[in-house]
Amino acid sequence: MKKKSILLAIVTILALTLVTVGCGGGGGEDTTSTDSNDEAAIKIGFLGATTGGHAYYGINTLAGMKMAADELNEAGGVIGKQIEIVEADHGSKLSEGATVAQKLIQRDKVNAIVGDPTTGITKIAAPIAEDNQVVQISAGAVGDYVVNTEDGKLREFVYRNTLLNAVAVPPVVKYLKDELGWNKVAVVTSMNNDYSVGLTKLFKEALNDAGVEIVADESIQDGDQNFSAQVTSIKPNNPDGIVFTGYYTEGGLFMKEVRKQGLDIDMVGGDGLLAETLWEMGGEAVNGSMVYCGFAADPTMAEGKTKAFIENYSTANDGALPDMFVAQGYDAVMMLADAMKAAESDDPVVFKEEIKKFEDWQGVSGTITIRDDHEPLKSPVYLLEVAEGDNGQQFKVKAVIPVK
Amino acid sequence: MNQIFESILDPYYMQVLTLLGIYIIAALGLNLITGATGMFSFGHAAYFAVGAYGAAILTVNFGFPFYIALVAGGLMASLAAIIIGFPALRLTGDYLGIVTLGFGEIIRVVFLNMKITGGAIGLSGIAKETNLSIVIVLVMVTVYIMYALDNSRFGRALVAIREDDIAAESMGINVMTYKMKAFALGCFFAGIAGGLYSHLILYINPSDFGFAKSFEFLCFVVLGGLGSIPGVILGTTVLTLAPEFLRAVADYRMMIYGALMVFMMIIRPKGLLGDVNLHRIFFKKKYQKQANRSTAAGG
Repeated sequence: MKKKSILLAIVTILALTLVTVGCGGGGGEDTTSTDSNDEAAIKIGFLGATTGGHAYYGINTLAGMKMAADELNEAGGVIGKQIEIVEADHGSKLSEGATVAQKLIQRDKVNAIVGDPTTGITKIAAPIAEDNQVVQISAGAVGDYVVNTEDGKLREFVYRNTLLNAVAVPPVVKYLKDELGWNKVAVVTSMNNDYSVGLTKLFKEALNDAGVEIVADESIQDGDQNFSAQVTSIKPNNPDGIVFTGYYTEGGLFMKEVRKQGLDIDMVGGDGLLAETLWEMGGEAVNGSMVYCGFAADPTMAEGKTKAFIENYSTANDGALPDMFVAQGYDAVMMLADAMKAAESDDPVVFKEEIKKFEDWQGVSGTITIRDDHEPLKSPVYLLEVAEGDNGQQFKVKAVIPVK
Repeated sequence: MNQIFESILDPYYMQVLTLLGIYIIAALGLNLITGATGMFSFGHAAYFAVGAYGAAILTVNFGFPFYIALVAGGLMASLAAIIIGFPALRLTGDYLGIVTLGFGEIIRVVFLNMKITGGAIGLSGIAKETNLSIVIVLVMVTVYIMYALDNSRFGRALVAIREDDIAAESMGINVMTYKMKAFALGCFFAGIAGGLYSHLILYINPSDFGFAKSFEFLCFVVLGGLGSIPGVILGTTVLTLAPEFLRAVADYRMMIYGALMVFMMIIRPKGLLGDVNLHRIFFKKKYQKQANRSTAAGG
């Protein structure tokens, strides 16, 4: 009995210490934030993961954001105030995404949030940002119902700066027809992949509009290994190229089969193909395969702002090139800064109006126009091609296609 | 009632506390299965998911009122538990653990491939219905039910099964029926918690209900003390709040969280409140009096 009470006492003390230490920690954080909150700082919250499954996107977005903040601060800040990036990791967990969004808004009192790079957590945070009247710019979400709600209502405070498939597909198709002379194509869809099903729909519409004939419409499944049946039925139709909307694993294997059956045509697809796995799976067969995406760093082709951005990033990172997430994170902070400058205010209710007015806004990942439906119209589309480079196969920029 | 909370707590604390309450309900459900009856379940998040999806689909697609959808979500989780329980509960110990893990993954993959659940894109457009006061009321109801069960014929039968199922059977307890009832009831609470969760987070996605979540629930229960209701509540509280409070140390957050778990398990191998009878400690005098009386009578 006595022993038990002692144990209980220990447990209680332990639990209390934990809670007080926690509160103490939290309190400490609060004081630091009030210190820096002396009217001189504009706080931009980073909503993203630095641990867990999506850490790659989060870390790169954050790197871009910090780079933008440093540049702005060196140049004297925005409307006379310094930019401060407040970061909080949600560990790639949906439930923590909501908590972090609340924390950034309520505890840190941020003026704007950049994130999340994934559609899921962006959708979780969007109603919170909307209710609390804090501007949120997602530097990565491409899914539906981000800037508008399910019942079609536009969100006033939520925007994004990503290249949407609906925007990218028509110019890509036009390029295929005009520049590469594709008049007959085969379309391959992975039926158990939502991304693929959605992308195929967009491609078919664009192909029809451009007057390109779809001579074969094949379906595969994610996880399939053998595509001989599909390739066999494509072969007699003699297409000029293949539109493949699935992911890299199947894409690589599919091209292998295409070459095996002696077809000398190339494949084009969305950023679902954008990974080294493509040639790990496909080997030489994927040379010439094309992928479109929103940003690719190519120091030789870049100019102006983008060139400076790529150079600054590689100097700071031992020669590494920035990827799409770095560029979009950078652009998101710059968009916020420009909106604040134009509105001469860091009040989200005021400067959100300026974001709506963005037209041909020049960022490092391209120009952005915010349309009436709050969706971004982004130009250009980068079309990459797999080619043999110095270190084996790599993606090279084939064309930079402007979007109108 | 919620307005009172809103006036004293900021929404960040409300969010954390609401989530804590939801986890307590689910953990108490698991405690009935693992703590009281001694059946290892590594798939609790799957029943949580059934409740979350069930309730959300009913309110979004069929316009059900929230409370009815919530109960329906709980019942769906029970139903799933009964269907899975028939083959699974014939096993015991580690084997049962592995089978529940397997079924948990199956349920998740089913949600990943169904059309009505939105597949990998997830389900969104859920209305915000859950608030702190609803959750507090439901936590109190759950705690009351758990105490009532603990001290009932049903609860004692479960403990008997946990301690020795052969002895229990020879005393006339239908082991299979009792196990099934406990499993279904425990999963019912997981389903209720799931329904509350989806109407709090407003967007659900199968990736959120994986093995990691099941394991988190198990940690709440084991760390708090298997079979102890206050223990489960304390365990859940510590493990849910710790990552939030540890945000101050940013990069070392999850490392400290892990170290904390190891440390607690070394100090208290049976869980924080395992083997501690709070009732006895708080009502020490009453027990002492009883003890004195009995010695007096005996002497």
